[in-house]
Amino acid sequence: MEEPRIGVYICWCGTNIAKMVDVEAVASEVSSMPHVVLAKNYKYMCSDPGQELIIKDIKVHNLNRVIVAACSPRIHELTFRTACEKAGINPYLFEMANIREQDSWVHTDRSEATKKAIDLVIAAIRRVRFHEALEKRSVSVNPATLVIGGGIAGMTASLEIAASGKQVYLVEKADHLGGMVAQLDLTFPHLSSAQQIIHPLIQRVKNNPNIKVFLNTQIQQVHGYIGNFNTTILQNGNESVEIEFGNIIAAVGLKPFDPVVIPEYGYKKIPDVVTSVEFEQMLLSGLIQTSEGKDPRNVAIIHCVGSRNKKFHEYCSRVCCMTALKYVHQIRAALPDANIFEVYADMRAYGKGHEEFYAHTTHKQIIFLMFDQQTGLPRIRKAGAADKCNIIIEMDELLSGISIEVPVDMVVLMTNMEAHDDVKEVVRSIGVSLCGNQFFIEKHPKLDPVATTTGGVYIVGGCQGPKDIPDSVSQARAAAARILATIAQESVPVEVTTAQVNELLCCGCQTCVRVCPYSAVSYDESKKSSVVNEVLCKGCGTCGAACPAGAIKCKHFTDSQILAEIEGIMSLSYKY
Amino acid sequence: MDKEQTAAKPKLKLAVYWGAACGGCCVSVLDTHEKLLDIVAAADPVFWPIAMDIKYKDVENMPDKSIDLTLFNGAIRNSENLHMAKVLRNKTKILVAYGACAYMGGIPGLANFSDKEAIFRRVYDESESTNNPEKIHPQREVKVKEGTIEMPQFFNDVYTLNHVVDVDYFIPGCPPQSERLVEVFSAIVTGAQLPPPGSVVGANDKTNCDECKRKKTDNKLVKKFFRPWEIQDDKETCFLEQGVICMGPATRSGCGVRCVVGNSPCRGCYGPPPGVTDPGAKMMSAIGTMIDANKPEEIDEIIETIVDPAGLFYRFSLPGSILGRKVQ
Ligand SMILES: Cc1cc2nc3c(=O)[nH]c(=O)nc-3n(C[C@H](O)[C@H](O)[C@H](O)COP(=O)(O)OP(=O)(O)OC[C@H]3O[C@@H](n4cnc5c(N)ncnc54)[C@H](O)[C@@H]3O)c2cc1C
Ligand code: SF4
Ligand code: SF4
Ligand code: SF4
Ligand code: SF4
Ligand code: SF4
Repeated sequence: MEEPRIGVYICWCGTNIAKMVDVEAVASEVSSMPHVVLAKNYKYMCSDPGQELIIKDIKVHNLNRVIVAACSPRIHELTFRTACEKAGINPYLFEMANIREQDSWVHTDRSEATKKAIDLVIAAIRRVRFHEALEKRSVSVNPATLVIGGGIAGMTASLEIAASGKQVYLVEKADHLGGMVAQLDLTFPHLSSAQQIIHPLIQRVKNNPNIKVFLNTQIQQVHGYIGNFNTTILQNGNESVEIEFGNIIAAVGLKPFDPVVIPEYGYKKIPDVVTSVEFEQMLLSGLIQTSEGKDPRNVAIIHCVGSRNKKFHEYCSRVCCMTALKYVHQIRAALPDANIFEVYADMRAYGKGHEEFYAHTTHKQIIFLMFDQQTGLPRIRKAGAADKCNIIIEMDELLSGISIEVPVDMVVLMTNMEAHDDVKEVVRSIGVSLCGNQFFIEKHPKLDPVATTTGGVYIVGGCQGPKDIPDSVSQARAAAARILATIAQESVPVEVTTAQVNELLCCGCQTCVRVCPYSAVSYDESKKSSVVNEVLCKGCGTCGAACPAGAIKCKHFTDSQILAEIEGIMSLSYKY
Repeated sequence: MDKEQTAAKPKLKLAVYWGAACGGCCVSVLDTHEKLLDIVAAADPVFWPIAMDIKYKDVENMPDKSIDLTLFNGAIRNSENLHMAKVLRNKTKILVAYGACAYMGGIPGLANFSDKEAIFRRVYDESESTNNPEKIHPQREVKVKEGTIEMPQFFNDVYTLNHVVDVDYFIPGCPPQSERLVEVFSAIVTGAQLPPPGSVVGANDKTNCDECKRKKTDNKLVKKFFRPWEIQDDKETCFLEQGVICMGPATRSGCGVRCVVGNSPCRGCYGPPPGVTDPGAKMMSAIGTMIDANKPEEIDEIIETIVDPAGLFYRFSLPGSILGRKVQ
């Protein structure tokens, strides 16, 4: 190992760090440590002059290791790594000490905070001595894309990618394209026709020479890694087709919740209690009629069916409130004299134009009745022979505080949207994860909402979480843009800090094989050693921690680096 | 060993000493059987308490570096062990930490899970066979008619040999496999190229599973851990896959997996493979991946089935590990 020549920079972050940490004291304390060539403090290390300072020092003082003690590495590690690279040293010879989020921001005693900053910097100094230069790696990208699910999100993404001349394989489980939108009549908040939105899209998809549609098809296990996936798909349950592709979009949407499990609502037992999806069919047919073929005089619309209730689903389905208001307009238009009851728990009108739509709907002579979603679900019963209606809803009305009975002829249940039954198989086949609500998990909820932690796999539309058409379409276009960018690059960078098995040390116990969340480790019978596929490896470190023989090295997180860091922070030294 | 060749050379001066040890290591030297004759042919034992009567004074009076090879077995438990470690270091050219106790602390090192006071209380006051109403504990000095007798000081901690003096080589094992000693000894006698000082010799780089003939797969999921006597061992399947903790994967090979060959799980006496500082910690994290549970309570229940985890994972390695001792 070359003699380490370390430059240490302590950032003030304006007053963010400097007001709680004596940055000068930190710099002078560590300046005499072995291998430390210089230790400076500066107002904003991430600013251009801050970065220039590092670049100049690397050149002038021949530094080969750099430490910046500043904010979280999540924020500026890349900035400083890039600065090191510009100055000609490998970016992995850089180390960051977090003295803001983990120190100045969380302490109130300046001298203690300063001591802590010194410990953190000493830990970084000890660690960086063991850093090794790592080389960037990349893999080539197959320009074809697999889209799973032919709803509005999947079709939009397919068209976007196909428009740039790239191949798309669109796999749809059902015997037709269109998803949920194909089953809708009008859409909120503009009351435009869903059919006029979806049918032209379906036609464009079918006619596009770059999109190969597989109907009645389910995907099997996908193999490979970003840029280079492959799978066999079973068309119509038997014909198998081999396809290769570089990226994947999951757009499998959601399915309506089945309200039979809510005894209060009597769904499937009491005639004329229908779900929103069934009501859309009625609207599409152009006739709102009871099972006896009569015009209903009183219609109730019950919100949050299976939503926002721990017994069913805790989350909000997001589109049902507005859909319920949409029904008010459609019922009012068809049945001008009908009484319409909006039986709701909370009104969610979060989107663009939604609050206005809500306000506008309240002028349609309707009666709003509120219930407690946790303790006071309305109870629906079949009316008796003497009653002048088909159905009676008993409820504890929250705003008036009295228990009432609402006579109606038809009830529309605004059912929750939940994951498909086969969603677990889908996620397993493409290597992504589900959250507790069985929605696909995004890479970062705010900064990277359409990517996943598996490179090359994107999630759009309902399957990522309930959403309306505009949000589904936005996500679809966002994912398409991401994929087109990687296709244009022709290659993608893959993780550098991967794990490696030292075959001379591996004893073949296979402890590591099962622990890898990305299936990157396998046992090679002929070598009598485990091997890591470095393209699949995300550098999570699990296998390295698990290997009892110390045969796995996790680059940039080696035992010597971590132990040196711990030693530094504890200012401990053990002999070995 | 080639007798012609060794006979031509001046004989090596050999010392074998025991610190805090059970005597097994010294016996393992004798266990070289007929090869012992070769050893004696090539080396003169100048100091070996188990086999010959020489006083410490005689050793202290030897010129520095006059002993070619010392096999120091046993841990450093008291001031007498420490004194002799320092004396032998000065008198010896090649100082070998021989056996698990000298190398890592060994079985005596388990005392680091306790401390001097607790040990004395147990041994001199509380043990079932103790009758000591006056609570007399060992004294550093005892005055008798003839004068004052000094007793060695019992340390609070057990140390490895390397903790107190520089060690040239380490031969692991509890005790080391005699064949391995013969190999190392031959290498020294014949002047073969020795590995750099500080190396472990008389053992391999890979861990025991590599040599183990039991069938092993990646299916190491465990719902309950068993002690060896609690299962009907099928004599074929990896112990871990039968729920019995075997230190094999975290233990340097060299012994010939002799315990597993005898249908008993490895206890780890050969210590960690190269690059590993704490075999107990390594093994615990490996065991962590084998627990077949979904809920935290279930994990706790399964862990509860590991009897004496500290003694199991650190049986031979506590003083030399990162852990070192129980925190006081
Ligand atoms: C009653 C109701 C009314 C609504 N009204 C409105 C409205 O007025 N305005 C609005 O903006 N939004 C509305 N929505 C929401 C809208 O339906 C969704 O935003 C939209 O459907 C989401 O599109 P998607 O492509 O993500 O999912 P989907 O439309 O559900 O499409 C998913 C597709 O994937 C397929 N698929 C599922 N699993 C697999 C698999 N394993 N393999 C292959 N294919 C699979 C499905 O068959 C389906 O074709 C309404 C929703 C409901 C339920
Ligand atoms: S959108 Fe409205 S009706 Fe639907 S679950 Fe959320 S709150 Fe309930
Ligand atoms: S570091 Fe993580 S992702 Fe990489 S091989 Fe090991 S367990 Fe798998
Ligand atoms: S855990 Fe380590 S020793 Fe065991 S098979 Fe994997 S790499 Fe080899
Ligand atoms: S863990 Fe033990 S029984 Fe299993 S393969 Fe390794 S040495 Fe053999
Ligand atoms: S099998 Fe394990 S415990 Fe037994 S002798 Fe070998 S290393 Fe020691």
